[in-house]
Amino acid sequence: MISWLEAIGMRVERVCLQTGIYPMLLLQVIQRLYRPPWFFSHILSQCEKVGVQSLPVVLLTAVFTGMVLALQSWVGFHRFGAESMVSTVVSLSMVRELGPVLVGLMVAGRVGASFAAELGTMRVSEQIDALWTLSTDPLRYLVIPRIIAVTLMMPLLVILADAIGIFGGYLVSTIVLDQNPQVYIERATLFLELQDLYSGLLKALVFGGIIGLVGCTEGYYCKGGAQGVGQATTRAVVLSAMSILISDYFLTIWIFQ
Amino acid sequence: MSDAQIQVCHLNKQFDGKVILNDVNLKVMPGESHIVIGLSGSGKSVLLKCILGLLQADSGQVLVDGEDWNCLNQTEQLKRMRCIGMVFQGAALFDSLPVWENVSFVLRQQGMQKKEARERAEEVLEKVGLSNICDKMPAELSGGMAKRVGLARAICHRPKIIFYDEPLSGLDPVMSDVITHLMRQLHEEMQVTSLTIAHNMKLVRDFGDQVSMLYQGRIHLQTPASELDLQDDPIFRQFIEGRANGPLDINNQHRQGSL
Repeated sequence: MISWLEAIGMRVERVCLQTGIYPMLLLQVIQRLYRPPWFFSHILSQCEKVGVQSLPVVLLTAVFTGMVLALQSWVGFHRFGAESMVSTVVSLSMVRELGPVLVGLMVAGRVGASFAAELGTMRVSEQIDALWTLSTDPLRYLVIPRIIAVTLMMPLLVILADAIGIFGGYLVSTIVLDQNPQVYIERATLFLELQDLYSGLLKALVFGGIIGLVGCTEGYYCKGGAQGVGQATTRAVVLSAMSILISDYFLTIWIFQ
Repeated sequence: MSDAQIQVCHLNKQFDGKVILNDVNLKVMPGESHIVIGLSGSGKSVLLKCILGLLQADSGQVLVDGEDWNCLNQTEQLKRMRCIGMVFQGAALFDSLPVWENVSFVLRQQGMQKKEARERAEEVLEKVGLSNICDKMPAELSGGMAKRVGLARAICHRPKIIFYDEPLSGLDPVMSDVITHLMRQLHEEMQVTSLTIAHNMKLVRDFGDQVSMLYQGRIHLQTPASELDLQDDPIFRQFIEGRANGPLDINNQHRQGSL
């Protein structure tokens, strides 16, 4: 009976320890945000890594998503003669939903994985310990710049992805589906409200925070050599992607209200 | 009040119920080169990490210059780190920075200008026998060079205490001898206190003033390095003679449960 209870207790303890590291790291980051040093040069270089270097992946994903969306929605609208609404669907879907979610998933795969792998390697090769002995706070030097960079860069990437996605839809609508370019542009903006853009950007901001926090936490608390780094990287991508999709639902409900 | 520079009092540390350190007591006097020896897995590196605040001890005190480092907050601990230098087992150089930036890392964080920091790094690298490697990246260095760069990084800001975690691991005998001489030379020139984790007996004889053996979580024996061969403790003798047969419990270094 006692051993059975002990087993349950140990499992609960393990789950608490595993999940508790995220709020713990977040709390430590928030505590440090108010006092210098802030390592601005590191924030800038991380912004370059996260933002500029993610552009090809993000834009390619967005343009093809916009193109496919235009084709698929045309099939549906063609059945009841409402082909001119294709651009409205493309723009609304991209701005409200697909832009932030797809960019989030892409950035989670590229940036979240690299955060976990970089910090994990630094942890297992004692570079993080070395920082401490060189009187530098590893959280300030490594973690905070990364979280700030990805949180700031996500909305910018989403704005570009939205624009490129709508442009992808424009290409397909005008070249493949032979629609009027003027009508496409007019209908794409006619039903688009500022609130749609804001809601997409809010999601991007939250997704950025999630990617930064999960990637950095997994890497920072990584254990167990090369295998540990591999596991941390995998967990960072999977957990970020899942968290993005789950939080997307709750954010959408909240925005609807 | 003790006059020891580093004093470890009743330090205890467990991992998942395994006792790693069990009431460890240790004193390192100013200017002394103190070496902690012990079998692999005996908790030597854990002891070092507890002293440096890299691991939180379950109980006990770590007094450096009479001040309990375990009671300080993180900001204060980081400030105190300026008086120490640490040489890691695998050098732990920052992959993304060239050699000179690794060496002058603390100075740059303290606001020293790039040109001045580079000059100081070149000077220290010269001291450890390395020149013209300032702009190389750590991945381009051999094991021995990386160790020496690690040593240069540890001394660049002129610390009062230097910690070495198995400084000769992975080095060939010639390079081991070079590093040992370098450590001895720097120790005397800079008049620092050193605490070294090692199981290389040549290093112990050439570099140590005092030797402590960590065994089954406790300091089993402490002796001046000059009296190593006079000790007749069978466990200690087996260790320094490097014999497989004897009373040393080789397979069960960490004991389960409380002691």
